[in-house]
Amino acid sequence: MLSSKFGILTVSIALLLTIFILSLIACILTHTSPHILLTSIASQEIGFAIKLSLLTSAISTLMCIAVSIPASYSLARYNFFGKTLLSTILDLPLALPPLVAGVGLLLLFGTTSFGAWLSDFGLKFVFTPLGIVIAQFAVNISFMLRIMRSTFEGISPRYENVAQTLGCTPMQAFLQTTLPMSKNGLMAGGIITWSKGIGEFGAALMVAGATRMKTETLPISLYLNMSCGDLDLAMAAAVILIIISFVSLYIFERRGGVTRLY
Amino acid sequence: MIRIEHVSKDLGEFKLDDATLHIDEGEYFIILGPTGAGKTILIETIAGIYRPDSGRVFLNGADVTNIPPKDRQISMVYQDYMLFPHLTVARNIGFGLRQKKVGRSETRAKVDEIADLLGVSHLLHRYPGTLSGGEKQRIAIARAVVTEPKVLLLDEPLSALDSRTTERLRAELARIHKLTGTTTIHVTHSFEEAFALGDRIAVMCGGRIIQVGTPDEVFRRPNSKFIADFVGVENLFRGRSVVHGDISEVRVDGISVVSSTVASGDVSVSIRPEDILISKREIETSARNSFSGEITEVKDMGGIVRAVVDVGVPFVVALTKRSYEDMELAPGTRVCIVFKASATHLF
Repeated sequence: MLSSKFGILTVSIALLLTIFILSLIACILTHTSPHILLTSIASQEIGFAIKLSLLTSAISTLMCIAVSIPASYSLARYNFFGKTLLSTILDLPLALPPLVAGVGLLLLFGTTSFGAWLSDFGLKFVFTPLGIVIAQFAVNISFMLRIMRSTFEGISPRYENVAQTLGCTPMQAFLQTTLPMSKNGLMAGGIITWSKGIGEFGAALMVAGATRMKTETLPISLYLNMSCGDLDLAMAAAVILIIISFVSLYIFERRGGVTRLY
Repeated sequence: MIRIEHVSKDLGEFKLDDATLHIDEGEYFIILGPTGAGKTILIETIAGIYRPDSGRVFLNGADVTNIPPKDRQISMVYQDYMLFPHLTVARNIGFGLRQKKVGRSETRAKVDEIADLLGVSHLLHRYPGTLSGGEKQRIAIARAVVTEPKVLLLDEPLSALDSRTTERLRAELARIHKLTGTTTIHVTHSFEEAFALGDRIAVMCGGRIIQVGTPDEVFRRPNSKFIADFVGVENLFRGRSVVHGDISEVRVDGISVVSSTVASGDVSVSIRPEDILISKREIETSARNSFSGEITEVKDMGGIVRAVVDVGVPFVVALTKRSYEDMELAPGTRVCIVFKASATHLF
């Protein structure tokens, strides 16, 4: 199997790539000592960043799930005028640099009368933790839509047809058949969205800024502490982000079934 | 009972074109046609899954064209079962009863009863994923009939099963229909199913209904070349079979046909026209079936001639044109026909 030079060449490249990735992680993990790491993680600043990251990403993930379920269902099940265009626009955030999305959000909420109107209701997004949530939502919603759409498309509409003939309204039929059958897609999508939300930096930086102990999530904390040379705190934030990535990747792979991410 | 009038529906890939049908109370009605004929759309439209582009659907005299499926009391069974994989068999069967807010103990009693009727009681606690095709289809049928629908729609219910299971389940469908008397519409592409089960048959092609009639009418007197080609089977009879040892004797309209297939009760019989020998004099052979009659009709199909011999029932016999001419056969000639018990197919 591996006798040809070509075979050996391709495997070598895969091996080199693996070493490259492992060395990145190893450098971060060895740049600090367990003692310093634990002290840093116990610090007030990192504690705040962990809490803020978990809270904002949890809220933005729930928002993504709540919006993506009906929106992706419509794309999976119905044909309507302009569907292709709509679907292309909904995919746009996948290709858009997060910084650009962030600038757009800043302008939308900071300069328009719509933003001012929301602000009158107490929904202030600019330079607030709420801005982090909306930034994570804007960047990640397309991922969630993609995953849910392919999940729904993989489930025959006939399950809902049968449920309807047995006494369900279309919505009851969806809630009792397609939705519970989408459990794996929902879990996988939720995990990847949550993990991307925790790592979100560019868009959040534009809308919410990088204010210590106010809009300081883990990536913002890493950025702030690197900038001012506090490497211990920076490494602590990096290590936590690595752990979160590993855990979410593991759960995502275990849930499987979702292959059409892009 | 069910009346559909000039119903059209275009789904792009499949379509229904000006379909009109009347189906009587308690009838076992077959919709027969090749893949893509629009059979499934027709019954999905009857169920209310699709609203027709034009035309109307009536149920017991009431216009239900705009009534949602849940209020029609029409149940549906698909070829690929569509059992809910996240629910146990018991919860699958009880699904419709729960939607109708039937009490828990009554639901359990009804589920037990119907599971017993269909022989799936031992599977109630299992999940559908691990069951065989035949078991799944029995459960799908149980789920559909437990709500006591006015109409039962079956979309190719036997097509995904192996032949033994198909035969058993076909008998089961006939038994359930007899027991419940529920008006049933059964979609199939198999003439055997149509012939064995149908009180009446509608043949569909290209989204249109092209012939409606009893199985005898449709199979003996197809109104178009399409149906004749599609049905493709002559010498198809219904009769009553009695088993004697390893052979069956079937009474068909006054004559008695012997078959090496062992089956008793009401059966269908088919003999391929190529398997029947024709002679001008009575001859002694090892074949168990021998009848005499008169040639009533001759069809020249090129190299092959198909002669209809009336021996009490009409048999179609295929022979080469050469033999036909050498034997100096013609309409009105008295002949004998002979075929083996092993060439007599019972189903």
